[in-house]
Amino acid sequence: MIDVILHALPIAIVASTPLLLAVEGELVVQRAGIINLGIEGMMLTAAMTAVLAQQSMHSVFAGFIGGILGALLIALIFSVFAIRYRADQIVTGTAINLLALGLTGFVYQANGSLFAVSSMREVAQYAVVLIAWLVVPAILAIMLWMTRFGLRLRASGENPEAVQHVRAYRWSALAIEAVLVGIGGAYLSLALSSGFAENMTAGRGFIALSIVIFGRWKVRGAIIGTALFGVAAGLQYTLQAMSIGLPFHLLLAVPYVVTLLILCGFAGRVRAPESLGR
Amino acid sequence: MRQIAAAVAAVVLLSLSALAFGRSPIELLNILITGSIGSRFALEGTLLKSVPLLLTGLSVALAFRAGVWNIGGEGQFIVGAIAAIAAARFGVIASLVAAMLAGALWASIATAMRLWRNAPEVLTTILLNFIAIHLLGWCVNGPLQERGAQYPQTDVAASALPQVSELHAGVLLALLASLATWFLLYRTMEGLRLRATGFNARAAKWAGIDVNRQLVRAMAISGALAGLAGGIELLGVTHRLFERFAAGYGYSGIAVALLAQLHPLATIASAIFFGALVTGAGELQRSAGISSNVAAFGQAVVILVLILFGSWRTRD
Repeated sequence: MIDVILHALPIAIVASTPLLLAVEGELVVQRAGIINLGIEGMMLTAAMTAVLAQQSMHSVFAGFIGGILGALLIALIFSVFAIRYRADQIVTGTAINLLALGLTGFVYQANGSLFAVSSMREVAQYAVVLIAWLVVPAILAIMLWMTRFGLRLRASGENPEAVQHVRAYRWSALAIEAVLVGIGGAYLSLALSSGFAENMTAGRGFIALSIVIFGRWKVRGAIIGTALFGVAAGLQYTLQAMSIGLPFHLLLAVPYVVTLLILCGFAGRVRAPESLGR
Repeated sequence: MRQIAAAVAAVVLLSLSALAFGRSPIELLNILITGSIGSRFALEGTLLKSVPLLLTGLSVALAFRAGVWNIGGEGQFIVGAIAAIAAARFGVIASLVAAMLAGALWASIATAMRLWRNAPEVLTTILLNFIAIHLLGWCVNGPLQERGAQYPQTDVAASALPQVSELHAGVLLALLASLATWFLLYRTMEGLRLRATGFNARAAKWAGIDVNRQLVRAMAISGALAGLAGGIELLGVTHRLFERFAAGYGYSGIAVALLAQLHPLATIASAIFFGALVTGAGELQRSAGISSNVAAFGQAVVILVLILFGSWRTRD
């Protein structure tokens, strides 16, 4: 059993890199008191704009910048409605997801060449993995718990009345999330697959939200949760390879079942940021 | 009033998107309108699309009224249809009852997780959608695949809803469901308790209402409505199951319910509007080559414009 897991771990880490970036981004916004259900649409948009940017500039770096810009655009729309107009965050997030699904589907069907980018060099791929699993967590941990900015950002999520310029902290949190999710979306379409496909995020945003809860809104929890999920979800390939007769289509449901179990098994009595969603 | 303004704004924005394709917005608007209400055939298409939208819209409206975030309409729609085809040989009524039960049970998984493990239903219902989609994929490629196993689809269901030209009896059932939901919410004690729970759960608890019980009930009824939508779509329109059966009706129900301000009777008008939008978008795809995904875009625009006009803001 240990052998199987040790074998699955490297693949799981690479495959869950976009997910981890999403988890880290959502962790920051939820600490600031925002539930961004639109993260799914944000990642989907980033996956597409990354491909568009890479195709027009012929550079992987430009692709990642394109992904970040796409995610920032979605963050801007979300924040105008959810922060500026104080709209219900779940309603806004749902609208954002529909918007992204519609727009990306629209562009995709208008030019079908989006599924044909040359794949990234391995060095660049591993650099992103390293950034997601080591660099970002370190930066986030320091930022959230050792700086004045982080303290105020967390206070915006716990007790907004005590903070001046709550909106500014929430806007910044969303911007940080957009950068992380943008990189994640770009990694998904440029590294993990060879281009964009309709609805290719396949619920990663929602899985990320679940892992944030599982990880108790902590950076360490986010990493452990994502790794656990990655290994468990990777079991579908192991099971497939062992061909013990579980039908392929049911194996496809494994990641979502695992997420449900994660939510149920560990949500239990957790304390969310006090003013989350308000 | 602002609902109508939001609907108009969505249509205008959709037409303006024609500029992105170097076409005239007027031409696009024309296709959208003639494609949805311009002929008897188009009108029937619009009505047929409104039926599942009305039911999933009611499902969302009832859940949101009770303060429960049921985003799982898509999954409940699918398991409803799977149950309906499995029970079709016992007749139409048995089949529809099975659809409602399956939808209610599927939604109740999320309730159970919420009550026992404190897992937020907004996430569990969404995750259950993905599981239902793969369950459907397994069914049409495995146990329920058609004889001959040529395509990933089921055989034609053993029973069907009675129909007059293209319109099936599900139209009446959906209207009845809308009246029944209105009656439940606004003319019964249980409905008052349910709305009180959604309006302010803490106050409802102080007033002696069993909040958890309202949650269980709202989720089950909401799931049953979405399941019924799946059953009616199967027995009235597609008659077969296939992988892309759900076509987003579950998620669209959210836009339908929000445009109707969560009112069961207003949901009828809202469902017809979105039914027309989906049908018109289909015509856009056929005659102008513009992706029918604009329908999802249109739904998003409606919700966002409603927010701009002052709906769905937190009141503090």
